[in-house]
Parts: sequence; C-alpha cells; structure tokens
Amino acid sequence: MSAASADERGRAVAAEAMTGAGSGTVFDIGYRSYDGPREGRARARMAVFKDGVRTALGLGRGIRAKVLPWTFIVLLVSIAFIMALVTGALLRMGGPDAAAHMPSHSDFYGIASIFFFVFSAVVAPELLCPDRRDGVIDLYLVRPITGSDYIAARWLAFLAVSLAVAWLPQFVLLVGRVMGNPDPVGYLAANWLDIPRILASGAALAVYTTTLGMLVAAFTTRRAYASVFLVGLFVITTPFTTGLASEIGGTAGRWISMFNLSNIPVHVNDLIFNDVSGITRGAPARELPAWVRVAWYFLWVIVPGSVLWGRYRRPIS
Amino acid sequence: MDPLVAAENLTKHYGAVVALDGVSFGIFDGITGILGENGAGKSTAIKIFLGLLQPTSGRAMVLGKDASRNVMVRERLGYMPEHECLPRNVSAAELLTHLAEASGLPPSRARTRAADTLRHAGLFEERYRPIAGYSTGMKQRVKLAQALVHDPRMVFLDEPTAGLDPAGREDMLELVRKTHREFGISILLSSHLMADVERTCDRILVLQSGRLVQSGEVSGFTAETESVFIEVDSGREAVVAELEARGVTVRVERSGLHVDGADESVYDLVRDAVVAAKAPLRRMAPRRRALAELFMHEGEEVEP
Repeated sequence: MSAASADERGRAVAAEAMTGAGSGTVFDIGYRSYDGPREGRARARMAVFKDGVRTALGLGRGIRAKVLPWTFIVLLVSIAFIMALVTGALLRMGGPDAAAHMPSHSDFYGIASIFFFVFSAVVAPELLCPDRRDGVIDLYLVRPITGSDYIAARWLAFLAVSLAVAWLPQFVLLVGRVMGNPDPVGYLAANWLDIPRILASGAALAVYTTTLGMLVAAFTTRRAYASVFLVGLFVITTPFTTGLASEIGGTAGRWISMFNLSNIPVHVNDLIFNDVSGITRGAPARELPAWVRVAWYFLWVIVPGSVLWGRYRRPIS
Repeated sequence: MDPLVAAENLTKHYGAVVALDGVSFGIFDGITGILGENGAGKSTAIKIFLGLLQPTSGRAMVLGKDASRNVMVRERLGYMPEHECLPRNVSAAELLTHLAEASGLPPSRARTRAADTLRHAGLFEERYRPIAGYSTGMKQRVKLAQALVHDPRMVFLDEPTAGLDPAGREDMLELVRKTHREFGISILLSSHLMADVERTCDRILVLQSGRLVQSGEVSGFTAETESVFIEVDSGREAVVAELEARGVTVRVERSGLHVDGADESVYDLVRDAVVAAKAPLRRMAPRRRALAELFMHEGEEVEP
C-alpha cells in the first residue's frame, strides 16, 4: 500500500468516539507520511551541536547530570565575583593605589585554571564516551552526517560551552571593577583593551582544553577513565615538570618546563595581556621567546585536533 | 523496475575471514527477509548498504546511490541495529526529536514526527520517561521508532525480535508488517529465525557463510522446508522401500523418516506405503526442517 493510500485510509477510519450533545470527538488520523522540508546535512550538524551543548550542561537530563558542570561554573563565577567585590571595596575605601595589587583579568586564568581544567576533564568525556559505549554513534552515522561532521559538531559544542565558562567570570570581574570604581566611565575608557584581551585569552584557553579533553575522551568508552587521565595530565605534570626543570636548569630546563600542560595556555594569556600570571612567574619556560611559546601552544592544539579528527573520520562501530 | 537495494558481487573480508563472498541480489518494494545463522554475513551486508562499512570489492547501491559516498541518500534510510544503541538518561520523545533533526527535519516538524511515531510504536504514554527504565520490548520499540521517525523510503531491521519473549516477538512482527502495510515503507529484515521471516516477509534471501544460497518468494520457500516425519515401531526398511517405489525421496535419520512436502498427497502416499509395508505406525506429523538442516541441504546442492 502506498503512503498516499495509507493517508486516505487514515482519514477513512476517523471515528467518532463519543456522541451526544456537548461531547468531544476523537479522530484516529492514522499514519501520515512526511512531506515537509528536509534540510539535509546542515540541519544534521546543527542537531548534533545542539545536543552536545545540552549534554555538556546537563540540560534535559536528570539532576545528577547537572551537578558537576554547574558546580564548576558557579565556582568559577564565584571566584571572579569575590575578586570583584574585594577590588571594588578597596577602590571605594582606599582609592586606586589600594587596589593596584589586587589580581586582575590577566591573573584570573592563572588563579582559576585548575578549576577550568577539571571542568573540561569532567564534561568533555560526557560528549563522546556514552555515544560509543551505548552504540548511539551508529544511529548518527546512518543519517546524513559523516564521522567528521559528528566530531566537528561535538567539538564546537564543547568549545561553545567552554568559551562561555571562560568568558563569563571575566565579564563578572570586569563589571565588578567598573561598578566598583568611583569613575566607571573613566575606568572603562582607560581599560577598554581588557575586553578584546579577555575574549582572546579565554578563547585560547577554551580551544586548548576542548581539544585535549575531546581527544582523551575519543579513546575510551568509560567517562571515569577519561576524566582521571585528564586530571592527571593537567595537574600531575605541574609538580613533575617544575621539579625536574629547576633540577636540570638551563635550556633543557626551560623546555622541560614547557611540558607543564596546565601552563601552556597561561603563557599565551600572559602574552595577550603583556603581563605575568602568578603561576607562570617562576616558570623557566617564560624565558623562551614569545614566538616559541605561541608555536608550542598551536602545536598542542593542532596535533591533538588532527588525531581526534582522524579517529572519527572513518566510522567507528 | 529498478531495485531499491542492489548488491553486485559484494565481498567483504575481515582479515582472513570472509564475511561476504561475491553476493549479488536485488531487493524491491515490500518486506524482504535475510535469513542466516550467526556469522552468515547478514549484519555486514546491512552495514555496507548503509555506508557504515566499506566493501572489499563489489557494489552496494541503495535507492540508486552508494550510501558511503552519498550521505544525503541516508535522509531516506532507516536502521534498527541488533545491538544496544539507546542512551539511558534521555526520554524516548527527546531522543526521537533529536534523531529526526539529525535526519534533516526542522525542529518543529521533528517534535511532531517524534510524537506521531511513538504513538504508532505503542509508546505514546511512556514517551517522557527515561529510556533506562524501559523493558526490553519497549526498548526494541524505541529502536524501531527511531528508524521510522524521519519517514524513510527503506528501513533496515537487524534482528528486530532479539531478546523478546514470544508475546513481545509477535507484537514486534506485527509492528513490522504494519510499517509496510500502512506506512508504505519497504523493509529489509535480517533474522536467524525462520518463523519470523516466514510470518513477516514477502521474499527471502538465505545467506550461509557469506554466500547467497537461496532466494525467492516466502510462500514457495516455506513449502520446500516442510516435511512429514514418520516413526514406525518396526519394518522401517520396508516403509522406505515402499515410499521409494512410489517415487518419494526419503531421508533416514536415527529418530525416524522424513519425506519432503506437507500437502495432502504426501500424507496419502505415506499412509499407503505404511499399509503396504505392514509397519506399525507410531507417529506421522508435519515438521519444519531446522534452519541448520536447511542450510546444510541447500549448501550441498549449490557446491560445485
């Protein structure tokens, strides 16, 4: 039977379920074939992107899926809020000199980066591991979408969330500093360059943590394994490389210091703000030329990104 | 009329293992069953048609296109995998809406289609519950619904009754029949259960060890697989001789005798042969050959 005749049949079986004055009528309209628009690959990519954002933030999921991402978001915003409150209070009470030594935008990622790394370690696996563990990936790859489309959409989804998480506290801090200043307009006019710097350094941090987080998640179906490995990667390399670099010293020590994975985006942050964060102040890698530190950052984004893309370029079953 | 699905010398090797060995066939409108034991190459064939796997050689065309090179053809294809493929922490309504969008439908239409499809799959009341709490039968229905939500032209069902109890199995097969009869969607159904294919499909392909050993209309095919089982207390050789004298081929097994066919004339012949042989008849009953027997028989016939 054709779909059209099925439609007719559907209409034909329309049945009055209740009769009598004042009662409603229930119709069984049967199966209706879909003759509306089909928006192809672009819509499919957008669907995977939207689902990735919702998954990362736990939207449409149970309360347990929301706890971890929102805990870290609240934590990061709270740090910025406290910094803004203290700076504002000092500005109001002691003037600009009193607040001059307070940590500012250039220091924020140095202070809060550990929470940001753990956020990525916890959330990035959520976007890839369950799809492979539960076999959902097969349901995507039989639709008008390729493996490359899938991983690009997922990467962009987590990047969008990471950007929001990186930028939001900085803008809370900015608003706090502007509002806390006795001359808000004057402060903004003098420090307007902080806005593009915040955007650029936040983007550098988000691209880095998104790519590394997704790469590790692409090689296991267990979220816990990916999270523990990522936390280890970001956190454990710090004392290890710091100790080894200071022991060896010289050029070799500087290069060993470059393997402190949690410092790589902070070096870029320092260059963007033309300042030195607390956590990179003593790092031997800071003595390497700026272009080396920038190239090193791009190496740690491009190579893992390529491996990630290669992993999904062919269907994974 | 061009086939909806066509395989031309389709071959797939996994290292030294041959999953498909130069298979050629065409599938037209209707419900077609691929029958074969585990490892016969059914799932491999379906995955090649969907573009999930690349063939080692040969061609696999669906709706006139190669799905691995032309992803847009997948807008009109549906797939119900054999294995687990459902996320645990989302509702069926949310999953189907999302997958309809991933098939290219605009969001508002995707929501409507998801609700409609779940109603047809018998899950309308439970559509907002997380899938983790569903029974096996309900999960199978969600798997079927996600394959239909974008109104495909052709749907591939890989062992749709796997893990279901007899009642759930019958419900699922009825849903499959309804999918073609009322929705107008053509179906390729793989199964290792002869009864499922026989009750659901119009046509059948039999795969054994990656080779196509038989294909045809189900009605003719099932007639070939039926036989009459005869058990006598004594005089078995005499019965065999009498049956062979009447031109009937008899298969002798330790448990009894089998005569191919199950219509009335076969019963009449058996009755006459038993009477002529003066053998005390213990049992005479129709019997469908087991799938393994069928494959062995057919396989032997096609071997050069």
